[in-house]
Amino acid sequence: MPVLRPEEEEKVRGWFAELERPVELLVGLGPEETPLAGSGDVDFGAEMVRVCEGLAELGDRVSCRVEQQPDGFPRFPAVAIRPDGRDVGVRYDGLPWGYELGSLVGAVVEAGRSEPSLRPESIAALGELERELALDVFVTPT
Amino acid sequence: MLLAYRCALASERVTATAIEANEFPQLSQELGVWAVPRVVVDGEPRWDGAVPEPEFLRRILAPAA
Repeated sequence: MPVLRPEEEEKVRGWFAELERPVELLVGLGPEETPLAGSGDVDFGAEMVRVCEGLAELGDRVSCRVEQQPDGFPRFPAVAIRPDGRDVGVRYDGLPWGYELGSLVGAVVEAGRSEPSLRPESIAALGELERELALDVFVTPT
Repeated sequence: MLLAYRCALASERVTATAIEANEFPQLSQELGVWAVPRVVVDGEPRWDGAVPEPEFLRRILAPAA
């Protein structure tokens, strides 16, 4: 089964064709927490690999690599979005399906930009940060 | 979610992780996730829902209450 519908796939191909630098999807597999009831018999790790490999097929500058329990991954499955193959602290923990697949596609598009897409005043404010800041955003597929 | 990712891509000091709540119910329960998106800053739940970029920056850069 394809990851995206044909019309969505065409859109994503267009976005990925505009990437200004390579983006690697590093999929981390390992012991998984038992998900909530109702998740069925989904093999989350295998599905994560399928989704990320499927996205990598949509752009020459997008690649996918799979590792068992890579450093810096507290939960599995997960995927790090790595511009130029570098760890920049951008990750999706869990399987991004449904609406949330858009978040992963968006992360690839953002990571593929050579300049941040935030407003100049936001970039300036972040530039004044003198400590580490960890943002976790809980999401649910719909 | 994209705003958090944009912040991480703009600053080496910022990390951003999306966490699928249903797949990690124990962590979600610990952090009282009942609505999404729930934004957690440095391990502290801060707010639910999407906000515009200036407000997002103001909230993540403000000290925890």
